[in-house]
Amino acid sequence: MIYSIEVKDLSVFAGSTHLMGPVSFKVKPGGTLVIMGETGAGKSLIAQAILGTLPGVLRAEGEITVNGRRVDQLYQIDRAALWGREIATLPQEPWRALDPLMRSFKQVKEAHRYVADRQAIEADLATTEAFEALGLSGAEQRLPGALSGGMAQRVAFAAATAANAPILLADEPTKGLDSARHAKVVGLLAQVPQAGGTLLAITHEASVARHLGGTLIVMRDGTLVEQGATDAVLKTPSDPFTRDLLNADPQNWPKTQSHTTAETVLTVRDLAVERGKKCLFEGFNLDVHAGEKIALTGPSGIGKTTLLDAIAGLLKPASGTVTRGQSLPRHGVQKLYQDPPAAFPSRVPLVHTLRDVARRHKTDWSRVMQFLEQLGIHPSLLERLPDEVSGGELQRISIARALTVGPKVLLADEPTSRLDPITQRETLLMLDRIAEDEKIAIILVTHDQSIAQKWADREISLV
Amino acid sequence: MTDQSNMMALPHLQHKPSKLRLARVLGFALLLWLAIVAVGGPDLIGQDPAKQSLLSTLERPSLAHPLGTDHLGRDMVARLLSGAQLSLSLAFLSVITAGLPGTIIGITAAWFGGWIDRILGAFADAVLALPGLLLVLMLAAMSPGSWWALYAGISLTLWVEYFRYTRQRARIVLAEPSVEASRLLGLGPWLLVRRHLIPEIGPGLLTIAAFGAATAVTSVAALGFVSVGIRPPTAEWGVMMTELLPYWREAPFLILQPVGCLVITVLALHLSVGGMRRP
Repeated sequence: MIYSIEVKDLSVFAGSTHLMGPVSFKVKPGGTLVIMGETGAGKSLIAQAILGTLPGVLRAEGEITVNGRRVDQLYQIDRAALWGREIATLPQEPWRALDPLMRSFKQVKEAHRYVADRQAIEADLATTEAFEALGLSGAEQRLPGALSGGMAQRVAFAAATAANAPILLADEPTKGLDSARHAKVVGLLAQVPQAGGTLLAITHEASVARHLGGTLIVMRDGTLVEQGATDAVLKTPSDPFTRDLLNADPQNWPKTQSHTTAETVLTVRDLAVERGKKCLFEGFNLDVHAGEKIALTGPSGIGKTTLLDAIAGLLKPASGTVTRGQSLPRHGVQKLYQDPPAAFPSRVPLVHTLRDVARRHKTDWSRVMQFLEQLGIHPSLLERLPDEVSGGELQRISIARALTVGPKVLLADEPTSRLDPITQRETLLMLDRIAEDEKIAIILVTHDQSIAQKWADREISLV
Repeated sequence: MTDQSNMMALPHLQHKPSKLRLARVLGFALLLWLAIVAVGGPDLIGQDPAKQSLLSTLERPSLAHPLGTDHLGRDMVARLLSGAQLSLSLAFLSVITAGLPGTIIGITAAWFGGWIDRILGAFADAVLALPGLLLVLMLAAMSPGSWWALYAGISLTLWVEYFRYTRQRARIVLAEPSVEASRLLGLGPWLLVRRHLIPEIGPGLLTIAAFGAATAVTSVAALGFVSVGIRPPTAEWGVMMTELLPYWREAPFLILQPVGCLVITVLALHLSVGGMRRP
């Protein structure tokens, strides 16, 4: 029996530090392997080791066989020859994997022409077919910047699978997609094994794993904690960590308490906003009370982020008013970002950033330390650069940074969409506690219906 | 099959940093040496670069004259040192006078955008449309042999590079969410520049500065060589090359000396910033 992927005792090291492993697994043609685990558990390292794209400072040990051929000893150039032909990969955040200056049809055609070695006319036909099959008709001449997240995902999928590589690696393919697009991408991936291909998917969502089936590997801190048939593991997890991971799914959360008070901190009346001359919505009304938790939902591109910007005063509304309450200080509205590393100056140690803010608002440094302690951040982490701490830690540091200002309203733009379920639950529970302790109103933008129902006092849907 | 063969290390990637570091250390050592030499000048050896001795012309290196004497019997070491003083001080000053305004105007354009950006950009384009050498030649023609004309000409052509680089990078950095976050947190313009702009564009500016200094040194020598820059008898590397060219058959070691100095200076400047990229 020739397996599509056979991995024996794979470990990854940085110098002499052990990062991940040992992991062993086999996937048959037509099979599916799902890897689950926390952020930073080493899930992506497995995919990178199989592809041969580990960063230069990392080193892998163990045997990797792809379609019956040992690949771990091949030269880099020979491994690269497998890319797209034997192993295709669907990257995280596909809009970054596409050439921003090339129209989508041409990007896919290029893969058909040069990776699959087809004639120009055949490549044209194959690309047209792929666009029709993926429901991308009409998007042929668009640049990646003009594609929605879901469309970019499908264009990247079309380009990655152009040469009919039998193996597809998908690293967190559903990250940051709204529920409708989420389901479409998962459906797309589920078709791969049905067509006889092999799928290796990395995800931290139990629902994705359930849909894809096959076998499941659960990773924690670089070690394998559980391995088995996906259905069985999801139904009766044997390891406490797996149970924790499944419980952290927002569907299983308890409903949080409401801490709403009578004081109105912000009033929005007849607000209309436009971005680039295009009116996104109008006649929006909202009263925000101190300590209130509001969830803002709606499909991608409806203007949720734009609405937050208008409330924060970063964007001038086309019409209507945002009135701040009497008690609201000048910097009383703060924002949490979807991508925590992008919200910090990238080359400045975190301690400087926090001290700058504390000094500006005359907040005592001991109070900042108190916030950090409440949020479970060790002070030694502050000596690091933003990209040297995990996404969950950085998001908590950004919460502490916002609290330093003493805000009354916190606008959270999908602050947990890039975090794993356990960290997501912890972070949102912290926000809930902050709303209660500091009487801060929180407006949370989310794609997840369960979060909106379980966490928020009320939900506002933009349609 | 041994354990060794199972490793998938990429050795070329691991060795690269140390090689680059060695080159930079070498570049900095050379620069430091050149700086000491330029600050000391001919006083370091106590010889007058202009003192002629027609009885001992085109001499080979000796104890009295370690690098020999030129066609008028002047000491070569003293003349090279004097040339270093001139070239390096001019390079240093022109980098500062071109770099500071260029950077500040660039940040201004990126910060305010709109018509301020357009006016400043158009102005820079207009300067760029004029060949740099032409401007220097024009100024040199207005006041022949003047050090100040050279300095002004070189600075006026070099600042555009800083402007364009800073404006382009600053526009990208200022559009990042992290800047929006800092503004929302109430941080003022100085902190935005210090925490966001300087760390992002500083290394690139240093690279431009080193290359600009190298360009300035070569320009001075080139203008001296075609007799429009510094005039004899001032010791300047380009002037020395012109003067010593007729004697290359009798004393080839003499003409090679200013050429060597020029090569070492440019090399040191380029090496010191080579490989200065994101860590």
